[in-house]
Amino acid sequence: MPNDYLLTIISNIGMISLIALSAYLLLISGEISFGQQAYFGISAYAGAIATTLWGWPLWVALLFGSSLAALAAGFVGLLTLRISGLYFSIATLAFAEMVRLSLFELTYQVEIDGELIGPNGAEGFGEIRWIFDNDVSVLEYTLVIYGVLLLVLFCLVLIERSPLGMIFRMLGQDPLLTRVQGLNPVRYKVTAAILAGFIAGLGGTLYAHSFTYIEPQMFNIMLGVHSLAYGLIGGLGTVLGPLLGVAIDIGFLESLRVIQGYRMIVFGGLVALMLIFMPRGILDENRVYRLKNAVRRWFRA
Amino acid sequence: MTDFLQNCIDGVMFGSGYALLALGFTLLFGVMKRLNLSFGPSIMLGAYAGTWVYLNFSQNVVLVLLATVITTVAVGIYVERLCFWAVRRDATIASMVSSFAIWMQLEEVAMHLLPERTYPFPTFFTSTVIDIGPFFVRSEHISMFLLTLMLLALLHLFLFRTRPGLALRAVADNPLASAYMGINSSSILFLAFAVVSAIGGLAGFLILSADSQVTPYFGLWATFKGLIAMMLGGMGSLPGAILGGLLLGVVEANAFWYGGPVIRDISAYLLLFVMLIVRPGGLVGQRIVARQQAAYERV
Repeated sequence: MPNDYLLTIISNIGMISLIALSAYLLLISGEISFGQQAYFGISAYAGAIATTLWGWPLWVALLFGSSLAALAAGFVGLLTLRISGLYFSIATLAFAEMVRLSLFELTYQVEIDGELIGPNGAEGFGEIRWIFDNDVSVLEYTLVIYGVLLLVLFCLVLIERSPLGMIFRMLGQDPLLTRVQGLNPVRYKVTAAILAGFIAGLGGTLYAHSFTYIEPQMFNIMLGVHSLAYGLIGGLGTVLGPLLGVAIDIGFLESLRVIQGYRMIVFGGLVALMLIFMPRGILDENRVYRLKNAVRRWFRA
Repeated sequence: MTDFLQNCIDGVMFGSGYALLALGFTLLFGVMKRLNLSFGPSIMLGAYAGTWVYLNFSQNVVLVLLATVITTVAVGIYVERLCFWAVRRDATIASMVSSFAIWMQLEEVAMHLLPERTYPFPTFFTSTVIDIGPFFVRSEHISMFLLTLMLLALLHLFLFRTRPGLALRAVADNPLASAYMGINSSSILFLAFAVVSAIGGLAGFLILSADSQVTPYFGLWATFKGLIAMMLGGMGSLPGAILGGLLLGVVEANAFWYGGPVIRDISAYLLLFVMLIVRPGGLVGQRIVARQQAAYERV
């Protein structure tokens, strides 16, 4: 059904937006993470195990998977954020690859209705049937995804308006300035990493249940670098930036089906050209500021 | 014990390829303080061009080598102008993401050039096994190792005995001061990319002809191995890049022997992860990091 096809793309945009937002949160705090896909993947596996093998309800599994992801992110952050910059980026990459490769070795299968179900190394983890077992339609599940996304966006907007968000942005501009203010940069960066891990985790569990099949290869470095790129294409000035990036990438690539086989040549070139003129994305800080003022003036007049 | 030593020999031989890739990364990072993710893919495109010449045009190995190196240099310059020269200097993340976008582009170009999954790569070296006491060494690995050493010597001469080499080191050391001395950093960046791409093209040729095949995964592989080896040795340090490459080769060879391919990859990343936590400066770069850290603590 073409309608379902469209819905799949829309729900895809929603789920990928979550990992893009997690990369964005770290980007505005001045850290580049090549490893958000690890938290996405950890939560995808944990959440899917919780519903399929242990029979937990989805929302509990969602919280469980994301908390586990946040825990892992906090652990990695504590270890690596003392030395930031490229060292952190490469350390997150190393961690994410270790997670992905370990998933190849992960086998945990339980017999359900005469069938062995569960993660089985490189074979992947199929039959994540929570949606079918609970008669959730594609439309309803898409609404669930967007509900979660809206909640996350709401929280991120609150954070950005709070002192915490201000400190994140300050860290991104100048970590030294943060230190002069008497604030401990490491503590705030770890906080940002934990929050980012949780958000990526939300996307992961939702993703596993939407696709009903996951394998380690889905959580490779390409997912991580793409999620970084989304924030930078869409813009680092507002939480809507990463969403715009995802929508442009997935939407644009879908509409470029006509020139199949040349999509990346066109798209890659366009992104590179765009970054020359807008190095902090379409909705960067200045543009967001000007837009906000314009809107304000519009309503005042 | 014999196994372990044999693995170490294999590791050093193969690690010399990693060392060349890491040298490229380190030189570029030293000069521009920005990361070029599309270094591996540009080598891959060069290797694809070489393979294309080999399949359609001529079996001559020298022609293949030339096609590989020239294409790699051309692609390297394309990347430099588009992702680094044109992008604002302080926009480090933008440059990195831009080089990633170009990576995707290069991969698709390569797929159009040669659409199959695997292609034979011309073997440059004749393969014989040489016995040294209880150990075996494959002759193509020895040739690769020796060529790497020669290349290193040439690079050393260039960097420490010529004026452009001096200018390159000056820009890497302090961009502002070198600008005051009248060094044109834009042309140095161009030069660095050309030199590094030539090294990369040669490294790609050597590695692939020892492997005698080329796949579309080579770009990702080369970028990863180069990055890991550079970080292991110490970011921005030339001897570090070589040591890092050799260390990576030895660890991988042993892990593969005792545990298989997945263990080999995991142990490489584990080594990197632990190294970054314990000694972020790598094997030799600790002093640089310590200096930065000290400056930071003083504030």
